[in-house]
Amino acid sequence: MIPALILVYVVTLVYLAITERYRNFVSIMSLQGWLLFAVALLRLHAIHPAELAFIALETLVFKALLVPFILYRIIKRTKINRVRTSGSSQFGSFVLSITALVVSVSLTYYMADRTIDLVFFGVALYALLSGLTLIVLRSQLFSHLVGFLIIENGVFLFSMAIGVEMPGVINIAILLDLLMSVLMMGILFRRIDDRIHADDADALTHVKD
Amino acid sequence: MIVYFTLSLLIAAAAFAARSERHLFFAGIAFYAVQAGFAALLIAGGLYETTSAGIFTFDAAGTLFYLLLTLVSAFAYFHSEAYLKGNDLRRTRTYSGLMLLLTASIAGVYFSNNLAVTWILLEATSLCTAGIVYHRRTEPTLEAAWKYLFVCSTGIAVAYLGILLLCAATGSGSLSHEALAATIATANPLYLKIAFLLILCGYSCKAEIFPLYTVGVDANFAAPSPGSALISTGLVNAGFLAIFRIYKLLAASPVFPWVRHVLLLTGVLSLVIGALFLRRTNNYKRFLSYSTVENMGIAAIGLGIGGIGVWAALFHVVFHTLIKSSLFLQMAVVRQVYNGYRINRIGDYIRINRVGAIGLLAGMVVLVAFPPSPLFLSELLILQEAAIDGAWWLVAAMVLLVCIVIYSFCSRMIRLCYQPNQDELHPSKVDRALSWSALTLLALAMTAGLWQPDLLIDLLRQIATL
Repeated sequence: MIPALILVYVVTLVYLAITERYRNFVSIMSLQGWLLFAVALLRLHAIHPAELAFIALETLVFKALLVPFILYRIIKRTKINRVRTSGSSQFGSFVLSITALVVSVSLTYYMADRTIDLVFFGVALYALLSGLTLIVLRSQLFSHLVGFLIIENGVFLFSMAIGVEMPGVINIAILLDLLMSVLMMGILFRRIDDRIHADDADALTHVKD
Repeated sequence: MIVYFTLSLLIAAAAFAARSERHLFFAGIAFYAVQAGFAALLIAGGLYETTSAGIFTFDAAGTLFYLLLTLVSAFAYFHSEAYLKGNDLRRTRTYSGLMLLLTASIAGVYFSNNLAVTWILLEATSLCTAGIVYHRRTEPTLEAAWKYLFVCSTGIAVAYLGILLLCAATGSGSLSHEALAATIATANPLYLKIAFLLILCGYSCKAEIFPLYTVGVDANFAAPSPGSALISTGLVNAGFLAIFRIYKLLAASPVFPWVRHVLLLTGVLSLVIGALFLRRTNNYKRFLSYSTVENMGIAAIGLGIGGIGVWAALFHVVFHTLIKSSLFLQMAVVRQVYNGYRINRIGDYIRINRVGAIGLLAGMVVLVAFPPSPLFLSELLILQEAAIDGAWWLVAAMVLLVCIVIYSFCSRMIRLCYQPNQDELHPSKVDRALSWSALTLLALAMTAGLWQPDLLIDLLRQIATL
């Protein structure tokens, strides 16, 4: 079951590279939250119930519901709809995304070792590269925000794979930090839209030498 | 540490709810009384070398940097009170509360003995700093705050991937320094290398070194000057210490020579960027920020060289903290006079504020490491170690770049003090008390550098032992 879920997760990353509608971005982020929730339940069922409940809550409430809700509110409030100008065509983005996937798979097999779950590491690496590609190729700030969340989801997936034992308080702190980051970025994004009337990073040129 | 955090958070909450500037002043008094009490417990109260809650250790590195942080943060806070007097109270209290929260978060980073806790607290510093940077609510501050929060959050997420990889490589199942150190010698070298690269890249946004140094420069430019004094020293030290702790962990691994090479390269690139942009920028605050990039580059080179270079790097960072904060606080007074920082427009500062001008000129002499500046000793030791290693290319590059830095610094600071002023002066009166106050930090740096108290030397020796 887990490999099937991971495969769907990879497909969502490829789809994120080619879609241009912001609402699709939000839907995909929500779907990734649900996928992480399912993977967590299947993979971590042997851990302490309280810890499992926390992780389930984190993925379900935070990643599948709350963050997409915040993103949706931003879209509604700022009336942005789709990527107007992208740094490359859809086909170019698709090719880059597939290249990132091939690079991730190659690197993962090159690094093969018993200490790390190869599938999870490969997908986390692919998520990192996908997030960075989205940030670099798209000039819209909203795309950057989604790129950051893709990286966060990839890191979360990898943390599940290696099974680090952390006290609940640390898990809560990580969650709060991320929630605050997304909230603050959402607030700043709206302020930028209000004051600078731009949702494009190219317009942010006031601070330079 | 839990009591420390609770008290600090309560006082910060009181600052957020303050109804007058007087309340903010008392909140500051209460907060720094807590810090002073905690520092006293560390030095003389038996807290030193103990552990708290299993995730904080009061070791030499944490103690030394905490003492510096308390001093610099107190100066920055009370200078802010004077600097922002009469401004909108809502904004001022938010700024003050965030300054206190930032100080507490940085202190947590210094004492953390768990990589996840360090990561959480560094992310918390990003949130506080973004709020401080956005204080003026103008377009440039909004842009700088967005960039800072976004790049730092992304960078720190990348660093977390590195931390997890480090944990997986060692197979320790825990992110505490002790657990990782126990098995790091047998870990997969390739994983360790990738983990170090990811962590260095991620934390470079805090340590203001290559590659993510730009957001720190923008943040220092946009934040009020006293806030920049804290960001450019206390927060930069947090990033430096986070990297240094990983460096110490990896000292027992087979990849340590490679790690040193990476730090050497990072340091040289930071020094190149700092030196070149010091010539290019037309803003005194960005100018001081690039100087931070340059000095942290020198510290990274010290770590990369190893040997006495490690001690010199730490010594350099300690004194850079005092000197740079003094200069940023002096810049706050410059802004009161000219209402701006444009290098090609403002001048004649020696006639307008003699104490401030002397503070800037003296700071310049000390920062560019003219003897008897403490930085002269650290830079000389780093060059000496490079020469002993036979890295003559490094010696030549460092000497050339430091010469560019000296020329840039001298020409810019002398211009500020002596060139005819082409801008209108700000109507507000010059607050010379602030200039005197900032000058005391510089005097303290010189005194400590020349006298070198036993406590400082002992702590530095313990920290530099790998």
